[in-house]
Amino acid sequence: MLWSGLFQSWDMFAPAPKSVNAYIQGVVITRDGRIHTWKFPRMEQLSLTQRYFKERYRKFVENLQDEKNSAVWPDVSRHLARLYNDPSNPPEIVMLVRYWSDIVPQPDGSYRPQPERARIFFEYRLKPEDLK
Amino acid sequence: MSWRVLSKAWNEFFFAPQSPVPIALFRILYGLAIIANLILLHSDWLNWFGAHAWVTLPTMTKVEPGTRINLFKLMPPADSWVEALFWVFLAFAVLLTIGLLTRVSSVAVFLCLASIQQRSLFITHGGDTFLRVAGFFLMFAPAGAALSIDRLIRVRTGRESGEIQPRSPWAQRMIQIELSLLYFVSFWWKSMGAPWVNGTALYYVSHLEEFRRFPLPGWLQQPIFLKLGTWFTLALEFSLGVLIWIKEFRYPLLALGLLFHLGIEYAMNVPMFQWDVLPAYVLFIDPADLKRAGSWIRKRTAVLSTGVTRMSRASSH
Repeated sequence: MLWSGLFQSWDMFAPAPKSVNAYIQGVVITRDGRIHTWKFPRMEQLSLTQRYFKERYRKFVENLQDEKNSAVWPDVSRHLARLYNDPSNPPEIVMLVRYWSDIVPQPDGSYRPQPERARIFFEYRLKPEDLK
Repeated sequence: MSWRVLSKAWNEFFFAPQSPVPIALFRILYGLAIIANLILLHSDWLNWFGAHAWVTLPTMTKVEPGTRINLFKLMPPADSWVEALFWVFLAFAVLLTIGLLTRVSSVAVFLCLASIQQRSLFITHGGDTFLRVAGFFLMFAPAGAALSIDRLIRVRTGRESGEIQPRSPWAQRMIQIELSLLYFVSFWWKSMGAPWVNGTALYYVSHLEEFRRFPLPGWLQQPIFLKLGTWFTLALEFSLGVLIWIKEFRYPLLALGLLFHLGIEYAMNVPMFQWDVLPAYVLFIDPADLKRAGSWIRKRTAVLSTGVTRMSRASSH
């Protein structure tokens, strides 16, 4: 199935929908100690048209948070570093930070936003060859 | 039921010749969905597929080892080649839509589609999966036997009569089965989860900020309606997976399914999913009904164009 291109899975919101609102930001620290924050496009902050163009980022970020996809974290870090690549002040460290808040059903069925929490889930120290 | 009856029913279902108009109409809508997906991907094409993409080809190969349909592995790892693939893909998607070199185009579209999905599995969603699997069967379908430039050329050069000839629909049936499988498996997985069974699933879904699009009326977000909505989703997915094969239920279910997808399109950010899946609904429409709808549209447009001509003549006098 995999080689033929017929692989498939139909598990959107199944067996249970996510119970957290989560997003990711990349933090790039350059040699001079400056901190740059790169925000992955968040659907709720985009215009209707932009959402159509940037929806892939929603899916990507959803997958990126998953521990089982940790193999791609170094690539993502290198890509982020390239966005701030200045030969006179190159990036040295990239961190991937996950922000999340739980969705907690209230007894009366209403919704109360929960406090947001954050965690650095990956830190990458760049090597000189990473930016070539 | 005897073996002979079963085998006759099987042959009838997969191989009794029928009008190729539904699969041709599907080809057009499918092609448009592919073109739309490509246009939406274009601004980030190199970010997803380029040499220095978010996930590189070597990493993707490590994550997904083994033999896969992936043209990126055959190309030199340069952005210019990756860019070229976009334009080749787009060109074949246009050819497929208009029905020129239909068979070749359908093969090229499938190869390109399977490749970009294999190259960047982390950005693919259910709609992409459906397009890929449907695209596989479309390669074997008589998709250019109607509503195509290929057919127009064949008729003009006397290689085909003006009457559209019935063709074996097995590939169309496979796409229909794929669509019903999509719904049934979705139902199956959901039915395994407590939130879908106890009716709270839509509470969570409706509070996922990344999915919210247009506001819903307050009453629809009351716990009782969210519960009913959760169970309705399960019931509809089961029905579209199973009951759609019963002729008497088919059109009401297609109408409900259409409303369901349009409702999702209004309320949620899952761009393109609805438009990737809905084209396959035409495969469930009886060719005779499609023909009737076609003549109705032709009559209407003829009346409209006569009216416009009369009006323009009257205004010029």
